Amino acid sequence: MIFKRKKLKGIPISSGIVLGHVRIVDSDIIKIPEIIIPTSRLNSEIKLFDLALEKTILELKQLRDSAGKKMGNTIVKIFDAQLMIATDTDFLNQVKEEIVRKKRNAGFIYHSMVINATAHLKSSPDKYMQQMAKDIEAVSNKVINHIAGTTVKDYRFAPNTILIGKYFTPGEILSYRQKKAIGFLVNEGGKNSHMALIARALMLPVVLYEKNISQIPNNSRIILDGTVGEIVINPTDDDWTKYKKLKTKHGPVTIKRIKKLKNIPPVSKDGKKIEIASNLSLPGPADDILSERKIPIGLYRTEFLYLAKGKFPDEETQYQFYNEIAEKFKETSVILRTFDLGYDKLAANNFWPHEDNPALGWRGIRPMLELTDIFKTQIRAILRASIHKNLKIMLPMITEVSEINKTKKLISQIKLSLRRENIEFDENIELGIMIEVPSAAIMAESLAPKIDFISIGTNDLTQYTLAADRINNKVASLYSPLNPAVLKLLKLTIDAGKNNNIPVSICGETAGDILSLPLFIGMGIDVLSMNPNKIFDFCRTVNKIDFKILKLFSDSVLKSSSTKEVINKLNRFNLALDKKH
Amino acid sequence: MIKKTAIIVNDLGLHARPSAMLVSTSSKFISEVFFTKDSLRVNGKSIMGVMMLAAEKGSKLIVETDGEDESEAMEQIIKVIESGFDEIG
Repeated sequence: MIFKRKKLKGIPISSGIVLGHVRIVDSDIIKIPEIIIPTSRLNSEIKLFDLALEKTILELKQLRDSAGKKMGNTIVKIFDAQLMIATDTDFLNQVKEEIVRKKRNAGFIYHSMVINATAHLKSSPDKYMQQMAKDIEAVSNKVINHIAGTTVKDYRFAPNTILIGKYFTPGEILSYRQKKAIGFLVNEGGKNSHMALIARALMLPVVLYEKNISQIPNNSRIILDGTVGEIVINPTDDDWTKYKKLKTKHGPVTIKRIKKLKNIPPVSKDGKKIEIASNLSLPGPADDILSERKIPIGLYRTEFLYLAKGKFPDEETQYQFYNEIAEKFKETSVILRTFDLGYDKLAANNFWPHEDNPALGWRGIRPMLELTDIFKTQIRAILRASIHKNLKIMLPMITEVSEINKTKKLISQIKLSLRRENIEFDENIELGIMIEVPSAAIMAESLAPKIDFISIGTNDLTQYTLAADRINNKVASLYSPLNPAVLKLLKLTIDAGKNNNIPVSICGETAGDILSLPLFIGMGIDVLSMNPNKIFDFCRTVNKIDFKILKLFSDSVLKSSSTKEVINKLNRFNLALDKKH
Repeated sequence: MIKKTAIIVNDLGLHARPSAMLVSTSSKFISEVFFTKDSLRVNGKSIMGVMMLAAEKGSKLIVETDGEDESEAMEQIIKVIESGFDEIG
């Protein structure tokens, strides 16, 4: 069957772009025959089973250790749970008894007992129960493959292989990566699956496509864009060039290139330093480079601690986590954004109430001011870790001043009890807010005296200002952070910061956008906090720019009456830059 | 032998981590531990067994402990379940 070019829209699971060719991986294990074992050979059948278990345990321990080095505790716990399954004596003894009683081969008995044990979990509507079945299968597939003598190690991939499979276990993601697989297209597993967590930590692009994907022939050329969820099968040469360009712009290679930059923060052509920062979620490979180059963290998304586990971590776990970050970035600073949950950031459980309109519902600071036990635990953990004097607290989705007042009250209560307990913390820890709701931008002047810094979240600010959901294709043409209405709100916020002497940063996706860079700097933004993969290009562009003309330029852009006009002006500016160099 | 009933209070039910916590708690004792939900009775020291219960929030779990340290075991197991596995909500 010849496959024509086909572009599919899937669900983005782990960001990044990869170009390569398809390899279908049948994660369904090999067919297991039912074999009658004579009584005389039952003992050696049991030994074979024990040996397969030993190999599985060894493999899981290796995976756990290598994951621990790269990714920290959350990922290690996934493998700890799998190890517990692989060493469950009670269950394994039952399997051995069945082997002897039924006189059948180990693989057959074990497999059918696992199917029995997981059937109930698999049919549960609860995502956590389903995940549990996946954890059990991750272990049993290993055992069965070891019994049969085939293991994942038998796979040999050509360079630039993109794997297609039903679902990949965290262990498979890790070992396929060691075999140089560069991306994954899967049928199952959402944003909060264990697969997704590990792929994001390793910066491996993953796209979920829920319809049938198995008929794509092996070796077809394929492009995956894990940032937006695009899949291009049998791409044209034009596609290839286009995505390759996008990839070099955003790929993990660019993160390593940060090491080569001469000046951080970057300096404009006429000698003005432009402050930058980085956004981070879970610990990952970029951390070392960022801390080595003394790039501060402008946004640390703490909700991933919750999303990764599906439960709120206790104070001690959080303290250790924040303390680790504070130590890692001891020469710079880290802004910890308190749990920002709700709307598109929910763990797969029934804890959150159903809302008809979650985008305008219980999200950001709103639930935290009601779930005060959770909020207080988090603040207490942050305060305890603040002894390094480099942590700052940031509140998401502030709508009105009362939310700041309430939080400040909570913080002083916690400070008071810490003092009573003689626990040290940073008395002057800074408190900032995110401006993502138009009301907060409009009222920025009266909010600013209450806080130490402002960070603008352009993604939500744009969505709320223009009443356009950015992932809804039907209104995608309306959604633009460069809409003059959004820019006016930015300007209001920046001016409020200046008048009150507090820094204003942007930490939305546009912060690292080369096109809008001269505009934001000209408007007077103090810091641009971007994803690590944007830093290299950003700094290089700053080097080419004359700072002194930016104020005039941005004034003229702000007079535009449409998004189109703004973009045209920015494009002309950029073209002129390129011509000069 | 002691027998008590406990209710799963945490919102996510007995998913992987709470199951693991229950098994590690039960395994600390010499006594035998069993959990029964509906008609399914499993060894409390077996992660596969506990996972198989697929106990959601609100399910009733009968806990049995049997052996020399049965009261201590019961006390700790009930404590872990009632604390919602340190999970909030």
